[in-house]
Parts: sequence; structure tokens; C-alpha cells
Amino acid sequence: MEVKIGLEVHCQLNTKSKLFCGCKNDVSDVPNVFTCPTCLGHPGAKPVFNKVVLDKALEVALALKCNINKTILFSRKSYFFPDLPNNYQITQYEFPLAEKGMFDGIRITRLHIEEDPGRLVHKGSFVLIDYNRSGTPLIEIVTEPDITSPERAKDFLNKLVNALEYLGVYSRSSEASLRCDVNVSINGGNRVEVKNVNGINDVRKVLEYEIDRQQIQQAKQETRGWDSEKCITYEMRTKESEQDYGYITESNLPSFEISDIMIESAESKLPELPHVKAKRFMGDYRITPEDAEVLTTEIELADLFEAVARKIDPVLAARWLRRELVKLLSLNKKKMKEIEIDEQQMTDLMDLYFSKKITDKIAKQLMEIIIEKPIDIKKYVEENNLMAVSDENELDKWCNEVINDNPQAVDDYLKGSENSLNFLMGKVMRLSKGKASPDLCKDMIKRKLNK
Amino acid sequence: MLSIKKMGFLRDPKWCEMDIKEFVAKVKSGEINVVEYTEKVLEDIEQINSNYNYFSVITKELALEQAKKVNRSKTGKLAGVPISIKDCICVKGVESSASSDILKGYKPVFNATVVKKLIDEGAIIVGKTVQDEFGFGGFSMNVGNSFKVPYNPFDIVRSCGGSSGGSGGITQKSRYLHVSIGESTGGSIACPASFCGVYGFTPSYGVVSRYGLMDYGSSLDKIGPMAKSLDDCKKVFDVIKGHDIKDSTSLDFRENEGEVKKVAIIKESFNVNPKIKDIVINKIQALGYEYEEVSLPVVDKYALASYSLIAMSEASTNLAKYCGLRYGYQPEMKEMYNDYFSKVRSETITDEAKRRIILGTFARMAGYRDAYYLKALKVRTLIINEYRQKFKEYDILLSPTMPILPPALDEVKYLEPLELYKMDQLTIGVNLAGLPHISLNAGFVDGLPVGLMLIGDQLKDNNIFKALEGIDGS
Repeated sequence: MEVKIGLEVHCQLNTKSKLFCGCKNDVSDVPNVFTCPTCLGHPGAKPVFNKVVLDKALEVALALKCNINKTILFSRKSYFFPDLPNNYQITQYEFPLAEKGMFDGIRITRLHIEEDPGRLVHKGSFVLIDYNRSGTPLIEIVTEPDITSPERAKDFLNKLVNALEYLGVYSRSSEASLRCDVNVSINGGNRVEVKNVNGINDVRKVLEYEIDRQQIQQAKQETRGWDSEKCITYEMRTKESEQDYGYITESNLPSFEISDIMIESAESKLPELPHVKAKRFMGDYRITPEDAEVLTTEIELADLFEAVARKIDPVLAARWLRRELVKLLSLNKKKMKEIEIDEQQMTDLMDLYFSKKITDKIAKQLMEIIIEKPIDIKKYVEENNLMAVSDENELDKWCNEVINDNPQAVDDYLKGSENSLNFLMGKVMRLSKGKASPDLCKDMIKRKLNK
Repeated sequence: MLSIKKMGFLRDPKWCEMDIKEFVAKVKSGEINVVEYTEKVLEDIEQINSNYNYFSVITKELALEQAKKVNRSKTGKLAGVPISIKDCICVKGVESSASSDILKGYKPVFNATVVKKLIDEGAIIVGKTVQDEFGFGGFSMNVGNSFKVPYNPFDIVRSCGGSSGGSGGITQKSRYLHVSIGESTGGSIACPASFCGVYGFTPSYGVVSRYGLMDYGSSLDKIGPMAKSLDDCKKVFDVIKGHDIKDSTSLDFRENEGEVKKVAIIKESFNVNPKIKDIVINKIQALGYEYEEVSLPVVDKYALASYSLIAMSEASTNLAKYCGLRYGYQPEMKEMYNDYFSKVRSETITDEAKRRIILGTFARMAGYRDAYYLKALKVRTLIINEYRQKFKEYDILLSPTMPILPPALDEVKYLEPLELYKMDQLTIGVNLAGLPHISLNAGFVDGLPVGLMLIGDQLKDNNIFKALEGIDGS
């Protein structure tokens, strides 16, 4: 089966103020607090372009290897909807900011700047309107239909979001701040557009649903909506009733040219993007491609790795960070930027662990502590007496006790069960509160039983 | 030839024969008590309004409050000068409706930049003047149902022009010093200035901030003063001009030091009522101009079509925000939002506004956009270039302002829309090109005023004032 998927990704930019007025670009529990005559569409109010948006959008366009259109011109896209104060949206039509790019092997058709409308809030039988979001800057990134599976779409979006976070233009705070229109066709059939899909997971679900549906029902060229509760798409409008937005120039905003200096300055500000960084990590630190990919998903994680890798064995550090830190974060549903781990803590911890001064178990316990609150590792280990115990007498005492208390396991081991040895080891660890040096301990038990 | 001041209206000799310069000097010296003066002005305009319908709102309280302040401070370039504001320009806390029922009761939360500048210089805002709804018309007859049509100050059965009709009427009729702030998209300052026999100056596009002006055609709208004397026009223009951070299309306007050497009349503009032609030519000669003749064939043939398509396309989106949701007329909402929007708009706006919304929407729809909207933009460039060519050689172009005398209101009612649109023939081109122009009284035919129009090159607004220097004997 041939699947063709194209995405239109709308991403809110994290500027301080809105796109066409000085109102704060933020979310609030109190509706309509970040509003003014311009973003409420009062008669006589006029838009004024926030040029910081252009800087940020330019960086994205360059990161996606697009050609830049130097003429900036805005248009009005007309449709009536209560959340749209002017009943037209200011967007770019004839001349998008950028065209013809490439990202993660997917061709980028265009990238343009536009404003977000307000938000409808359904309360009982009422529909309320919150204009806090009205005028929030968005970039819309449109891809060619190069994506061939739902999984690939998800992968692409994750990489795109990573890149946007690296660029510092976007924060993955809520799923809703990334909205997609999804285009999908199978086996050269009609193209179906599904509008307003929130978040990456839903994009995958929509695609899986649509691919199944189109195999059963022949697809019409139409626009569908997505019901995220029922996980189904539904008919919105067919081609015949396609909306005509009657685009005209937004003549309250003069067109202007972007200078070469501005483009050069945006280019010079571009950070190393995730895939480039991953490649460098593999070369510089000789870590595996898998480790490199995971460690570059978040810029904070990548920075932590690099700092630690300068002091201790990078391969061991990479493995540890990926297996322990990343796992622990995902278990606790946390992001690197939400926790306060500094390189010193991490280096100290790994240093103690790799030099076998603390055990694997203690190291893991310490990890759980430091993702909650920052501590001085060395001091903490000392004060709580957490150093691995390799003292022969101490180990001898624990081993003897365990052997005496578990005759059955001893018997099983002697009959050839390796599991029983692990069981006995576990008992020793428990008895030592995790401090017994596991290697020494294992040797000692073996020695005692094999006598 | 009759001058405006000698038209025989009852004027209070103590107060009225002053221009801004003299008046402000007397305010500053304490010779004129601004509160007392403002009270007389309000009494006068209330009386005039009851017969002529020039105001949608008279802002008595605001005016007296400002008058008290100015009386104390005695400062500002316009200290104590009574000024009326076209209804489509926002005055904070004062009902501003562009004479449309859909904005009935709407009180803006901010002052338009021009209003703020005027108040800052001590002007007294006396009211909002009636206009064609949102500027859609040339005779001030397309007012919302709850507004009254203003009458010509020289003949009550005739039109005072439009769309800034109330502004033109009160400027002529007021027995005191008066300046009105008008707005022109396709001739809405020049036309009522001509029909009411006053000065009406339309600056270059972008020279005066549009912040707080309810958009009609955003690429065409211009705010400008209407006054009894040239110098008053200039004084108010100097206060309101200049770049405004809140209007991105506004420009930093620098005085140009050029000279006015060569003038020309526009050949095609004189295919008008022969009496009008004679009066205008006489006036041009009386001004002492030695003129040549130029032809503007592209303007003559295509300006009206190009203008109509652009203005209506822009208007159809600019008016979309008026839907009864956040301000103005808001009946109880019992239906789906789209039905509600349709209901509110059908009930309130005039037929002319509906016509322009429908035509403008049509012109920008897929399939028609290339043939109408986009082509109109290209033609606009040709028109601008045609003017630019002429201004390489000439400093001022001249024409009658209107091809007709102020028509009787009863006659206008029976004209077809296209016939009405053609009345703007002489003012459309300059407005489309965004060029500065002034209409001044050239004389009278059968007791009705005739306007002469001077057109300057883009951003050379001061050339117009230079060309007319000394006209009022000042």
C-alpha cells in the first residue's frame, strides 16, 4: 500500500508580546486579561508588526534549509468565526517568509507567519470567548507529501519539535501549542485533509484511523474534523463547499524588505541542531548512534552529557545517562529543563560509581534524590555512610548470615541454579542496605559455597 | 466674485472674523475667555444642528471641561479652537459610530491619534459630524436609519456633499471659528468642501496617522482638516501630521523647501457644466497662475474602476468585524453565530454598504481575484506613474473639484449607483494615487458654491499651501 502524508504544522512562538500588539503573549486562568483594542478588533485600532517574531521565524526557516523571500507582505484571510476578532486572520499568502526547504529527509513546501485567533470555551449551554490567545504569533510549516507512515510522521514531528526547542523559539509546554492539519491519501486516491489535530500523538492516531478508513471507504476529496475523545474523524465539508478565503493585502501593514544583514545575523545565531550534534557526539566521544540520538533530544541533556564527558569516560557516561537519567525522567514524566541537575553533581556521582566507591544500587537511589532536589553528592554519601563496603570482615559477616538463613537456596545453587546465587546476593544487599560491594560479595559467596 | 466671509450669514462681529492665529493670541492674552466662547459655540452649533443635521453627537460636557482646562493653562497651538470630528474617528468615551446603526452606542476606549494631538494642543472637541455610513457615498445621504441627512448650508433642499458632509456643513455654517476633521477615501473631504464652499485639505497618504480611524479602504483613507481659511487648514494640518508608532503606514513628514513654478490644468477634468468651468478658470486666472494644459488619459479612463474595486475589496474585509459581538448593536443571540452575524448585519447596515460589501467580496474571490482585485492594483500603479510623469514637469495640477453643483436631495435619490459613483470622477484619481490636494471655493453659480482643486506631488503637501499663499489676504 502506498501512503502519502503531508503536514501543516502550526507552532506558537514564545515571544514576550503578541504578533501585532504589545499585549503579553502568555496563558492565563483569567480570561481576556492580555487584550487591547488591536487584538480585540476594536474599530480604528491598527496592527503593528512585532519584529522579534521575524527574527525567530527566520531562524526556523534557515534551520529548515529554506529559501527566504525577502519581501515581507501580509494578507487578510477572511472567514467569520466568533474567536476571530476582525473576522479575518492576518497571515502571509502570496509571499510566505520561506519556501523550498528540507528537514529530516522531508521536503518543506513553505513557512509563513500568522496570528492565532482567540479560543472558545464551552460551559454548559454557553459558549464563552477568551481572547488571551488572540494575536499570538504562529509559524505554519507545510511539508510536501513525502511522509509514508504514521510512525514516520510522529518521528518527523518529534525531531521538528526538538529542533524548535533547540532554536529557543518554542516550548513544548502543552500539547495544544502544536496544532496540525494532516493530509493523507492512499494508493494514489483522493487527498483527505483532517483539520485541527492537537499534539503529536493525535497526529499518529488520526493517520492510523484515516489509513484504515480509506481502505474500507473510498476517499472523497474532503476536509474532515478529528474527535479526539472518540478517536474518529468526521466529515466537515467536501470540495464543492470548500471555503473561499478571498485573500487581499493587509494594507494596514506596509510591505518591507529583509536585509542581508538580518539574514546573516539570524544565520550566525543558529545553534547546532540535534541531528548535527548527534553526529558530532558519535565522532568526538565515540558513543553509539542510539546513545547519541537519545542524548540530543533535549538540549539541556546534551549539554549535561558534554560537560560530564570532558571529565570522565564518555562512553560510560553516555550509557549511564541514557539508561539511568533518561529512564528515570520518563518514569517521573519530567523534562530535563524542569530539574536542577548540574554537571558537578553528575560528575561526582558517576565518579563514585565508576570507581566502585558506591554500588549500583546506591547510585540509583542518589539519582532519584537529585532529580527532586540538588544535593552535594560527596558530602551526602559521607554523611549518610553510603560508601560501598569492601571490608572483608564485614562482608564475611553478612555472607555467613545469609548462607545460614537460606539453606534451600544454598542447596539449589549447589545443584547448579545460577538464579539462587542472585537470590543470595539480593539478600546480602538488603542486609547491607545496598552498600556491599557486589563483585567482592559474589566472589565471597561462591568461594564459601564451593568449598 | 463673492468671498465666503461675505455670504451674508449672521455673524457675531466680536467673535467670528478671526482666524486661528488671531484667536489663539487673544486666548493667550486673556482677552478671550475660552469657557464663555465655548458656551456660545455650543449654543450656535446646537441651533444650527436642529435645522441642518450636521452632528451625530454634540459633546457639550467634554467641550466645557476642556475649555476650563485651556482657560487655566492658556497654552497650546490651538488653545480654545472649536473642532468637530468626523464620526468615523474615535473620540474616547464619546459615541463614535461612523453614522452606522451597527455601531449605535459604541464608545471607544481610546482617542484616535489626531484627536489626542488636537486635545494636547488645546483644541476643544465640540462634536462628531454626520457622514455617509463608513464613508460610503458622496452626498451624505447613506446614513444609518437612526441618523438624519445633513443639508447644504446654502440651500436646504440640496446635498452638502460627502462623505464628510457634516464637517463641511458646520464649517461653513458655524458663526464662530470652526475647524472640522474630515476623512477622504475617494474624495470625501474635497467634495463636501466644494459643495459647502470651504477649504478642505486632503494630505498625502500616510502623512496623518490613521490610528483610531475606522477603516474603509486602508490603503486609501486619509484624514485632513476642513476650515474657513487656508491658514486655519495649515495650522491644524501642522498639528495632526507626522509619524505615529501606532499606525505602521504613517510617515515621517518633512517640510519640503521646493518652489511652485509651473502649474497645469488637467484637460479631461474640464468636461463639466460650462458654468462651473468658467468660474474655475476665472479663479485660476484671478490667482495669477500662468498655466499649461496636461492630459491624464489613464486616470480619466481607469481610475474609477480601479478605485471602486480596491476600495470595495478592502471595505468588505474592514467591515467584517462589525457583527454584533463585542460592541455596538447587540440584540439577544438566539441562533447559531453565523445566523446571528447575518441577522445583525442585515438589520443595521444600509443598502449602499451592503452593495459595496457584496461587490468587494466578489472581486476578491478565487476565480475573479486575478481579473478584478489584482488587476485593479496593477492599474493603480499605472495611474500613480502617470501622475509622477506630470509632476516631473509641473508642481501643481488644477481641476474643478466636482463636475456638478450641489444636487437636490430628491434628484440624488433617483440616480443609479453607477451614476452616483461617476460624480467622484475628478477626485478619485488623486485619492487613488495618495496625492495631497485641496478644494477651495472658486465662486458661485446660482448662489451655489463651486470648488477649485489644487493637486500636489506625493509628500509635497506644503507646495499646495505655497501656491495659495496670501489668498485670504493674510
